[in-house]
Amino acid sequence: MAVMFPLTPYQIVAPLISLLAILYVWSLVMRQKKTIWEGTLWTIFWTAIAIIALFPSVLDYLTFAMGFKDRQNALLITFLGILSFIVFALIVRLEELEQKQTKLMRSMALKDAGLDGKCHCGGECGRQ
Amino acid sequence: MRVIAVIPAYNEANRITAVVERTQKFVDDVIVADDGSTDDTASVARRAGATVVSHPQNCGAGAATMTGIEAARALGADVIVTLDADEQHDPCDIPSLLQPILGDRADIVFANRFGQKNRIPFIRRFFNAVGNLVTFAATGRWVDDSQCGFKVLGPRAVHEVRIRMSGYEFCTELVREAVQHKWRIAEVPIKVLYSQYTLAKGQSFANGVKTALRILLRSFLR
Repeated sequence: MAVMFPLTPYQIVAPLISLLAILYVWSLVMRQKKTIWEGTLWTIFWTAIAIIALFPSVLDYLTFAMGFKDRQNALLITFLGILSFIVFALIVRLEELEQKQTKLMRSMALKDAGLDGKCHCGGECGRQ
Repeated sequence: MRVIAVIPAYNEANRITAVVERTQKFVDDVIVADDGSTDDTASVARRAGATVVSHPQNCGAGAATMTGIEAARALGADVIVTLDADEQHDPCDIPSLLQPILGDRADIVFANRFGQKNRIPFIRRFFNAVGNLVTFAATGRWVDDSQCGFKVLGPRAVHEVRIRMSGYEFCTELVREAVQHKWRIAEVPIKVLYSQYTLAKGQSFANGVKTALRILLRSFLR
């Protein structure tokens, strides 16, 4: 397994993005916004992206196992990937909406109980 | 130290009085976080002497617990005890759970239903083991009974905790909070009282799978 020169633009950009992502993740870990465990998981993910970009032959086994050898299958797989991304984006959006709804319910509940704005932590607990 | 109990409750009108009255003996105040119940849970809890905060709609156990924690902070809690409203947990265990906090040996105490002889159905043990594994995969920290709702938060945890997950995933999120904020963790064996009612109320397999997927998805979304 060796890097084939000259490198394609994708083979240059993907590892660079991976490197930046890994640095960003660990900066979050340093700032205690992510745990070391999460930092490790993300590092594995982005390292895999970089390796696949630099050594595409590692995917040979995958193509053999999944059987997408012709263009039609490749097209199908590509669209499945795009659909998966759309579903992922929708889930993220739903999560955000659910959290907003929960915050609203919480503030209504605390207000009804006469406990809003009485937090003793000086706002550090994240209450809006 | 001012110790306040937070009891998230959903349609527990028949049981909440007993839980509140038994809990009051061990804490300074009891807050019932009524999660949009369609029965009289809120009014029954209020009559039993609890402070009640009510969600207008059902949001989930995690959301109700965090609302209860916010209310406890507003009432000046130094230590927060969380327990279930279905009489599964015995409030008599509160003093032993408080010990690591009062002795300044821990910032969060997890009750452990498997730490002593308890009659726990096999299926419950299995689901809890899966929950522990998912929690470990998401947080990197092993807790013997990560999915138990009986916990104690010490002053530091009361100050820093922020649960964002609405459903049962919040148990895993609390472990994550403990790891992220580097809280000292203690685990204390407790009694558990499973009744037909408690068993029937437990999570379904589909719910468990959904919870596990949400935990893993969340750990990637952060």
